[in-house]
Amino acid sequence: MKWKNALYHLSLVITVLLSEMSFAQVPADSTAADSILLKQIEQQMQSGIQPAPQQARSSLSFNPDIGVIGDFQGSYISKEKRNFNAYLNETEVSLQATVDPYIRADFFLSFSRDPETGKYGAEVEEGYLTTLSLPAQLQLKLGKFREAVGRINPTHPHALPFIDLPNAYVNYFGDEGLNDEGLSLSWLLPNKKFYQELIFQATSGLSESPSFFRGDNNRFIYLGHLKNFFTLSDNSTLELGFTGITGPNDSSRTTNIGSADLTFKWKPVKMNTYKSLTWQNEFYFSRANLLDSFSINSFGMYSFLQYQLAKRWFLTGRYDYAQKPYDKKIVEQAYSLTAGWYATEFSKIELEGKTTNDNIDKRFYQAWLRWIFVIGTHGAHQY
Amino acid sequence: MKNKLFIFFISCLGILSSVKAGTIKVVTTTTDLKSITELIGGNKVSVSSIATGYQNPHFVDPKPSYIIGLSKADLFVTVGLDLETGWSPQLVASSRNTKIQKGAAGYVDASIGIGLLQVPTSANRAEGDIHIYGNPHYWLDPLNGKVIARNIANGLERIDPSNKSIYEANLQAFYKKIEDKMKEWKAKMAPFKGSKIIAYHNEWVYFETRFGLDVVDFMEPKPGIPPSPSQLVKVIKEIKADNIKVIISSPYFTTSSSDVVSKQTGAKELTLATSVGGFESIKNYFDLFDYDINQLTTVLK
Repeated sequence: MKWKNALYHLSLVITVLLSEMSFAQVPADSTAADSILLKQIEQQMQSGIQPAPQQARSSLSFNPDIGVIGDFQGSYISKEKRNFNAYLNETEVSLQATVDPYIRADFFLSFSRDPETGKYGAEVEEGYLTTLSLPAQLQLKLGKFREAVGRINPTHPHALPFIDLPNAYVNYFGDEGLNDEGLSLSWLLPNKKFYQELIFQATSGLSESPSFFRGDNNRFIYLGHLKNFFTLSDNSTLELGFTGITGPNDSSRTTNIGSADLTFKWKPVKMNTYKSLTWQNEFYFSRANLLDSFSINSFGMYSFLQYQLAKRWFLTGRYDYAQKPYDKKIVEQAYSLTAGWYATEFSKIELEGKTTNDNIDKRFYQAWLRWIFVIGTHGAHQY
Repeated sequence: MKNKLFIFFISCLGILSSVKAGTIKVVTTTTDLKSITELIGGNKVSVSSIATGYQNPHFVDPKPSYIIGLSKADLFVTVGLDLETGWSPQLVASSRNTKIQKGAAGYVDASIGIGLLQVPTSANRAEGDIHIYGNPHYWLDPLNGKVIARNIANGLERIDPSNKSIYEANLQAFYKKIEDKMKEWKAKMAPFKGSKIIAYHNEWVYFETRFGLDVVDFMEPKPGIPPSPSQLVKVIKEIKADNIKVIISSPYFTTSSSDVVSKQTGAKELTLATSVGGFESIKNYFDLFDYDINQLTTVLK
């Protein structure tokens, strides 16, 4: 029995020795070094300390970072026969990794439900490469991506603080947003006083959006966005952005959209996980040339105020104003209120109520409940 | 508002003009790394930290304004593991600065070579905000400060080999001071070896291990999950059973739940600094331990 025990101890020491040697921290060429080594092992076994791996601490395979986001919703609408509905609105799979020393790749695959048919379809929500080493503070993006229109469009819907999208935004860019294929070049301006970024995007216009349409000819959609970000104090910031978009419409003529976004944030540095306030606004102006001497100008905007009541509780009130792009006499106005409970960084539950009124139909009411849940990679925080 | 903007611009200009030509520009994620970089780099470096010392290092807001400093930096120093995972990788990527990208000469992961504690055997978020590489609050052991300093010196020597002798000399001086101070700190803490305490968040394991304290439980039922009534009941029972004298917390956590427990049990609440700048008097890495140890020994007496 004794020799068995001794053998066991010996094999334990050998195993630990071997694993320790593979870290190549200690010279293995003298007996003095060996006894030091033994001492170290003893100490480590006693303290339970594990040596840090010498390898880079990413996954040891070359698999990309993988995340899956579930978005389950229940909804109510007052003006339809079938008032209530419940569905898995979207399953989003993200795959992200660096390709080589020059570029990284981001893919967001979406399995979402068509609200009309209730059928699920797969699509590439985004899929693009981003350069890592262009000179002159430039960064190039190539592929399919959510375009740089203000604040809402680049954000994935599950990360927004409300469940439905602002009316004006949907009128101009649709439920899926302006999300198109092409290239995007961004330049970090050499401005030392405040952050300034200029983005230019050229896309094919093949993706659906109410404002733009890819015709038979070679006309693309061009977009320019200037982002200005000011630090007002340690606790508050202001972002002011301007966007211009021009592209072909379904009358084979041109639609121009200009937009401005203004966001004020207050977040006390010390208690930033407990209290915060965001006031965000976007204004859209559209000029759609439909016939040679006929064009429609329209305007839309939203403004929301989000207040964080406590670590897990958020309250967001929003006002929408939207002239219909095809008939500016039809004006929608809506008020909504969303309460959000953020359990952790990986799940949140939100409840939204909304009332909409336009000058031709009766006022109607809507409500949604959604539960967002995330597994896999820890996503980046947003600001 | 106009006035504030103006003051901001002026102060920016002031900061810019105070940066001496020819110095190495370093951006660190936390103030502790800033302090150690300043001690190793001396007058050869100008250092700024993204996070302040009184803010939760897991949840720093990735403001675009931080990108300006990063785009001009020669060296970037990060605590690493997954402490800053929600904010620093995207800021570094957006900086378009190839010098400081992961794997480049100007990227310093201060955790390389640290003896890590609480490395989980499985990754499961049912356990709360666990860190898959081990507990990342390792700078709270002063001896780990030596490993951090070695990593920073390596980085400085990689990008500025001509001043290697200066960095090495400063590094040796830093080692010496840590060793001297360590004797003083250990002596002060010696009477309280084995003292049982309650902590708000699981961020003290390196400090606890080094100075022989015993953190019995946390106000958070699981890391990152706010204190629940059942957890408070459990903690109150533990405090009464073990006659625990103190609940330690950090500047960026609310005290409401500790207040409740303190009232019920008579245990003292103590807000310790987790980083340089956590309180105004803490100007460097040595002050951090001076402050915390003075506070603790006063309460534990």
